[in-house]
Amino acid sequence: MTKIVRMWLVAAIVLLLVAPLVSAGGAGERVEDQVDIAVVTPYMASATTAQVINQFQEYAEAKGWRVRVSDTAGDFGMLVSRIQDVAAQQVDAIVLGMGDPQQMSAGLSAAGEAGVPVFGLDAGFTEGVYLNVTSDNSDLGRQAADALAESIDGSGPVVLFTHDPHPGVRARAEGAREALGEYPDIEIIREIHIEVPGPVDFARSVTEDLLTSFSAEGSIAGIWAGWDEPAYGATQAIERAEREEIRVVGVDGTDFAREEIDTGTIFAATIMQDFDGMAQLLAELIDEYLAGNEPESRVYQIPGSVYR
Amino acid sequence: MSTNTSIPGSAAGFAAQRFFKTWGTLLGFVFLVLLFSALRPDAFAQLRNFRNLIEQVATLAIASAGVGMVMVTGDFDLSVGAVASLAGVIVASLLVAGIGIPAAIAITLLVGAGIGAVNGLIIAHAGVSPFIGTLAAMTSYTGLALFVTRGTTIFGMPAAFRWFGQGSVGPIPVPVIVMVGVIGITWILLDFTTFGRRLYAIGGNRQAAYLAGINTQRARFLAYVYSGVTASISGIVLTSRLFSAHPQAAAPFMLNAAAAVFLGMTAFRDGQANVFGTLLGVLIMGVLSNGLNIVGVDTYIQSVLTGAILVLAVLLSGLSQRSR
Repeated sequence: MTKIVRMWLVAAIVLLLVAPLVSAGGAGERVEDQVDIAVVTPYMASATTAQVINQFQEYAEAKGWRVRVSDTAGDFGMLVSRIQDVAAQQVDAIVLGMGDPQQMSAGLSAAGEAGVPVFGLDAGFTEGVYLNVTSDNSDLGRQAADALAESIDGSGPVVLFTHDPHPGVRARAEGAREALGEYPDIEIIREIHIEVPGPVDFARSVTEDLLTSFSAEGSIAGIWAGWDEPAYGATQAIERAEREEIRVVGVDGTDFAREEIDTGTIFAATIMQDFDGMAQLLAELIDEYLAGNEPESRVYQIPGSVYR
Repeated sequence: MSTNTSIPGSAAGFAAQRFFKTWGTLLGFVFLVLLFSALRPDAFAQLRNFRNLIEQVATLAIASAGVGMVMVTGDFDLSVGAVASLAGVIVASLLVAGIGIPAAIAITLLVGAGIGAVNGLIIAHAGVSPFIGTLAAMTSYTGLALFVTRGTTIFGMPAAFRWFGQGSVGPIPVPVIVMVGVIGITWILLDFTTFGRRLYAIGGNRQAAYLAGINTQRARFLAYVYSGVTASISGIVLTSRLFSAHPQAAAPFMLNAAAAVFLGMTAFRDGQANVFGTLLGVLIMGVLSNGLNIVGVDTYIQSVLTGAILVLAVLLSGLSQRSR
């Protein structure tokens, strides 16, 4: 019985494997002289990473380039291996879709030795990265903090939802602390690390606990979140607890955040990152590189804009 | 059916050990509740907070009930978080596509049962190790959820769907009612049916159970189907609670559900997974998280303390076993 089931399972799995390989084989085949771009990312599960990579892919394919996207689901060891793989395949360029390049120095060295340039797409800039196109994360954090301060009339106790392992979110929190420090009547009473994956549920539960802990009206005036997902979770908890006086801000300008801002009052603002601008600029810069032109800068920072 | 081969102590000492072994984890839970109540009586020891707390743990408790049933047989299910996340993505996608709420939920539950059946087939019938089988399943289901959503969050479901995760019947939140229902069904299945007794027999000694005429493959297969269904219910409730679906929304369930069942194995039915022990495990983890948040302990330190308390509970349980 076990043997028969095993044989059937083997057959089913082989079929499962063959079908996508066959269908992808033709579609992914490289035309001679076609520019070959490899995008590697540890964060495709993040809505914003997926958005910026998908937009870059559209611009790159419009130029007739072949684009392959590889996600390692948070595994930086595997990310280094993927960079080494595509460097060995002598692709024309590697695009690093977010993530801290300092955690993948072995991969960057391999790319350097193979003569393949690594471009950062909202990643960091370090040795081994040719150039990086990103948002000014510190400015995003500052803008969100200013929007929060404005929504609470410049006074009251504030909580920060942070995630320091992510360099971008860490820079936003630093920017927020600086900005909030300029409001004498605002006090940061707690800074809470939000766990991922599952940031919406985590932030919702933490906010419920916070509202229990600070139950008096006015004991929390606002919540600053380093990105939209925890801001969304916090908003739901506040709605549920009927603490309508509290305001929440996020960063990223995701669809669900904008809808919440449009339809409710608690989620006061999000800072829109110009992902489309980032993706388009990176495609242009790679084009320039392929044409043999030197870039004007190694770090391009695209400003964000407030959505309220 | 254990035999006592060690030198017996006094009758009172033995009774105390036995009491501690059965009720020690529950006492630990009561101790935590009293500790946090003493530290923040104005915030922790409030009815509203207990309502929040039970609502927060409801989704994990639902998923853990199924994992517990699998673990009764001595197997393991690492795919629970991925299945719950995938179920959330499926129900949200169907609702956004305009499918009615009852149909969307029914389809999602069927998919959950199907996923559980695939796990059961791979592990119980094809003889793949539960660890490897469900690890592989977890990877595939996570990939599938990411593929369906392209990594994005699904939102924009009909407002009526909020009821399952955010509504209440009288003062009782709907997720808590669902949790009580799932725990109750699991309890009946495990403790009052032949099927449950067979699962415990398999967990006790699979070879002996087989020789006694129990169809071990079928029983283990059904346990995985049940785990798939409870993970799906949990994913549906979580999606409604968050009113959005993310491909990794329930990923933390993988470790948390296993931790809850392991913690529960130290209570009531020592060394064996049991439904009330699992519920107690979930509640301990919930009280720890809720209480530490209210007291204001750093999130990183919370993780350290939660891990330490898990090890402590299992160590104490082992100590009481060895001291018999």
